[in-house]
Amino acid sequence: MTPSLEKISTAWAIFQGLLLEAIPFLLLGVVIAGLARWLVPQTAWIQRLPKNPLLAPITGALMGFALPACECGNVPVAKRLLASGAPMGTAFGFLFAAPVLNPIVLASTWAAFPDQPWLLVARPLGAFVIAVLLSLLLVQLPETQLLEHVLLSERRMSQPLSTVGLLERSGGLVGDPIPELTPTQSTRLRASDVLEQSSREFLDLLALLVLGCLIAALVQTWLPRSWLLAVGGAPTGSILALMLLAVVVSVCSSVDAFLALGFAAQVTPGALLAFLLLGPVVDLKLVGLFTVLMRPRAIAITAIAASFGVLIIGQWVNLWQL
Amino acid sequence: MIRGILLIIWGWIVLWSVISGRLDLLLRGVFHGLVGVSGVALLLAGVVLVIRHLDRRERVPWPWWSSATIAMLVLLVPPNPSFSDLAENRPQGLPEPPELAFVLPPGQRTLTEWVRLLRSQQDPDLVDGNPVNISGFVWTQRNGPPLIARLTVRCCLADATPAGLAVDWPDGFEPTTNQWLAIQGEMAVTMRKEQRVAVVMPKTITPIPRPKRPLEP
Repeated sequence: MTPSLEKISTAWAIFQGLLLEAIPFLLLGVVIAGLARWLVPQTAWIQRLPKNPLLAPITGALMGFALPACECGNVPVAKRLLASGAPMGTAFGFLFAAPVLNPIVLASTWAAFPDQPWLLVARPLGAFVIAVLLSLLLVQLPETQLLEHVLLSERRMSQPLSTVGLLERSGGLVGDPIPELTPTQSTRLRASDVLEQSSREFLDLLALLVLGCLIAALVQTWLPRSWLLAVGGAPTGSILALMLLAVVVSVCSSVDAFLALGFAAQVTPGALLAFLLLGPVVDLKLVGLFTVLMRPRAIAITAIAASFGVLIIGQWVNLWQL
Repeated sequence: MIRGILLIIWGWIVLWSVISGRLDLLLRGVFHGLVGVSGVALLLAGVVLVIRHLDRRERVPWPWWSSATIAMLVLLVPPNPSFSDLAENRPQGLPEPPELAFVLPPGQRTLTEWVRLLRSQQDPDLVDGNPVNISGFVWTQRNGPPLIARLTVRCCLADATPAGLAVDWPDGFEPTTNQWLAIQGEMAVTMRKEQRVAVVMPKTITPIPRPKRPLEP
């Protein structure tokens, strides 16, 4: 086999590994989103979520403890929150914090680094701070510039006309009038309807996951990891290298601590934390999935702001630990 | 109905990857059950949808078609990674060893356990003369002689990490990249790059097929 064919063959195997490992978590997320839609009438709890600009993302971030899944599984749940009219800060706080602030990820971090208790505190704390800051930043954008247009339409349909004008709803102007939802009205769907919606959602997200895994596998095969780790000893260089590695490798947050263990001895503590913080928020596998939630500009803002925040946290940790 | 069929295709691929043993080449064992359950769930959901919509036609978005095409490719084109290429592009940082690995007699240690042992204690003389009975693939390094190696994974092939042992290849034996070999022999200490290092002195080298579970935890 020629070297280039060997590389293609290796990339194909990495792609299959990433995809088959991510599908159960994506399915789990879609199932949880579907169950939430079925069991809990939208108006009952969505309406009770705090709308305060600071409390909303904090609430969302803490909701991560209810979903023991990695970042792929959180996308359908965050989408459901946004479509149901939840405060945007809550949905984004959940989206960015839940991949770390959940029992499985915290347990795997502890299992991988039992001798580094500071990491067990710094990782959830850092993820919480990043999630709240990203949420606060994103909600500054108008909904029309932030949310993907199909999701925006769905969200506006679920909001009362007192908050969204009739013209802002892209549907409902022609045909039967849409019944106004009141907090006391039950809107529970039938199980079959939930299966219909969830299957459509799963196939939509799966197509994007396939694309993300393909990109991640190709980049990983043609970009030698040794290049990234060559700068391991330099404080800033090591943070940047590990951030890039987290984006490229795209391993799910429930196991990334074990991967980090592999090069923990070769890099600075700040770089190690940066790897564990950035991967769950931004990676190549997620870019496709995020397009069902946000517009490209908002995704770019998320990636830049998250990278900047993680770089600062990493630098600060290096100053404190080195 | 087509949505149900797509779910059945994906469910079958996921389940087939477990049943056929393909997953042994791609994922760490602890995830296999989870993947299998998700395959069954997708199959069941697909069957329910097909039964409910036997006579309903549905517009299928192109991303679903393209992902279904990829799904068929996954089914038809099995993974065949170059282990040597993977090893060459990864740093050598092994997961923490299982607690009892080092109490095994030398002849029963796997290649990965040998590498862990040699990294944990720096004096190669302590293993001089120990019997060796290992298997692995030939890792052709860019800068250095070929090693006998294994890949370890925490999650999937994307995070595979190599563990390689130096071998004093017999005269006339040309190790072929990615070839799987079983080596019996003993450990010896030699000078390489002005350092005393432990190397495997083979007594017999036998080409073997790739093991069913080539990845180690």
